[in-house]
Amino acid sequence: MSGRHVLVVDDEPQILRALGATLRGAGYSVDSAATAEEALTAAAARPPEAIILDLVLPDGNGTDVTRELRSWSDAPVIVLSAVGEERAKIAALDAGADDYVTKPFSVDELLARLRAVLRRRAASAEPIIEVGDLRIDVAEHTVAVGGERVKLSPHEFDLLRVLAQNRGKLMTHRALLREVWGPSYQVEAHYLHVYVSHLRRKLEPDPASPRYLLTEPGAGYRLVDPGV
Amino acid sequence: MKRLATGLLASAVAVAVVTAAIELLKPYVPVLSLGVLYVFAVLPIAVFYGMGMAVVVSVASMLAFNWFHLPPVHTFTLADSENWFALAVYLATAVVVSELAARARRRAVAAEQRERESALLAELATELLRGRPLEDELGAIGERAADVLGVESAEIELGAQHRPPRGTSPLPLEAADRNVGTLYTPEGSDPNVAARNRFLPALAALLAVAVDQDRLQGEALEAEALRRSDLVKTALLRAVSHDLRSPLTGIRTAVGALRSETLTLTPEDRTALLETIDVDSARLNRLVDDLLDLSRLEAGGAAPAPELWALDDLVREAVDALGARDRVEIAGESPLVNVDGTQLQRVLANLIENALKYSPPGSAVHVRITATRKEAIVRVVDQGPGLPEYELDRIFEPFYRRSGDTRAGAGLGLAIARGFAAANGGRLWAESRPGQGTTFAVALPVVEVPAELKA
Repeated sequence: MSGRHVLVVDDEPQILRALGATLRGAGYSVDSAATAEEALTAAAARPPEAIILDLVLPDGNGTDVTRELRSWSDAPVIVLSAVGEERAKIAALDAGADDYVTKPFSVDELLARLRAVLRRRAASAEPIIEVGDLRIDVAEHTVAVGGERVKLSPHEFDLLRVLAQNRGKLMTHRALLREVWGPSYQVEAHYLHVYVSHLRRKLEPDPASPRYLLTEPGAGYRLVDPGV
Repeated sequence: MKRLATGLLASAVAVAVVTAAIELLKPYVPVLSLGVLYVFAVLPIAVFYGMGMAVVVSVASMLAFNWFHLPPVHTFTLADSENWFALAVYLATAVVVSELAARARRRAVAAEQRERESALLAELATELLRGRPLEDELGAIGERAADVLGVESAEIELGAQHRPPRGTSPLPLEAADRNVGTLYTPEGSDPNVAARNRFLPALAALLAVAVDQDRLQGEALEAEALRRSDLVKTALLRAVSHDLRSPLTGIRTAVGALRSETLTLTPEDRTALLETIDVDSARLNRLVDDLLDLSRLEAGGAAPAPELWALDDLVREAVDALGARDRVEIAGESPLVNVDGTQLQRVLANLIENALKYSPPGSAVHVRITATRKEAIVRVVDQGPGLPEYELDRIFEPFYRRSGDTRAGAGLGLAIARGFAAANGGRLWAESRPGQGTTFAVALPVVEVPAELKA
């Protein structure tokens, strides 16, 4: 049977069982692993299209698994975190995880995130990215909202481009700073907040309640299509 | 009064002795030069009785010399100027010697007083700084301060002065502009002024240090208590975060999947999801039970209802309750114990469950029962990784998890087991060496088999 292949990693057998049944019910084929070692072995044996990964594992943590995975796989990773594990969550995102859900999560939320990360994979190489009413021409360095050109500064454009190329993905502060200002440039996170607020004023229909450029408190930002 | 009388008597004796001595020496020495011997009467009186008595002795000496020895004998006629000269010598001697003696005596007394004061202060310092509660020592300090001050009694009150007790007068105890407290002496008593000026500030300074120390110690204890309760809270938070959330996540995921209209579930997956709900809700229930038991035990509200039980029966029931008959081997004696059966089963079940969890898959857990005349001991032996020395006692603390262990439960089972064991008059401890498995032992008092039950 079955469509896209997902690897689920959690040391709680009941969670593993429930997630397995849920994902199969949503049309995915599922592998499961209870330890970091099992996860890496399973991912190597049958490369998954996405990985759902618990942060706390008996023989390691989700961050290490993500880092290891990233050295040879670009399958999107959704981290399962809990309140109280914020630092570990950010570390995993910085290490290359794509998104997270907080335990206990709703099935619909998890499935929506999974769909989003799987969709995103095709986006990054496009010369022109469209997200809702936004149209970003990467080659021409131009942006239009609803057909109207918007003038952006070079940093604002780069920030929007990085978010758009990773649309749907939660981008941590550190990842955005690295992508836009370069790895050696020491820019504080609050520069980022200022640029995001500039972008919102230029792009959002209502900058006070953003629909495209969403804040993930304490973690980072993501660009989403409000229509999806 | 008594001192005056003895002084007069001593003076009389001294004058008489010298007069007699002169009488004896008169045939050999010119009488006039013998007059100087009266200095030996004046001198000791001046030393011991002070100037007043010395003047009396001087005059008496002059009169005696005049009456008994100076011609015309047996008259007080002062024929010669030598008499006046003799009197002047005696008086001068009396004044100078008595003054010197008095000064020396005062110095000695003052030195003694100071020594008493500093000895007392030193002793107080040692006692107070040893960290005994200051309030307990105040009575004794007061008594000894009274001794130093030369008053009958003294009471010390710390802090701001209240109304002085009846019939007392207050002396403030001040150190560096800070009012440490008050010393009450009996009304009308006359504390030694020098001692008061010297001793009280020193005492006050000492008490101030002791008061501060008391306070700091109290604060340190409080801080320690807070720190500990913070640790417990952190542990509780962690336990709640992991042990409540994991089953909740399982349940919510399963319910979400079962209710979803977009998912297509196979019958097997539906069963699996229902089973997850079943297992995880039971796990939540157990956790809530454990938390309740623990709080009851800590509040002392788990009074056991003791009955006579054969210990091996309780072990068997505990094993059956765990459904672990095929993995547990029971051996040994069958002593009678007087315990709450439910509580002791709980102890044994927790120990056996724990042993099963840490044993390699497929390996057996051994339960051995031994008995002496006094004690029955159940040993639960696993073949797990063992415990380092420093964890042997810590594993009984609520919420404690073995180092590097992420599988463990909330860390309540052993704490509850120890609590119930203690409530039933028993002891629970762990014996282990890393790499050699762990043994948990419960010791319970043995009961004699009652006569009517003997076969």
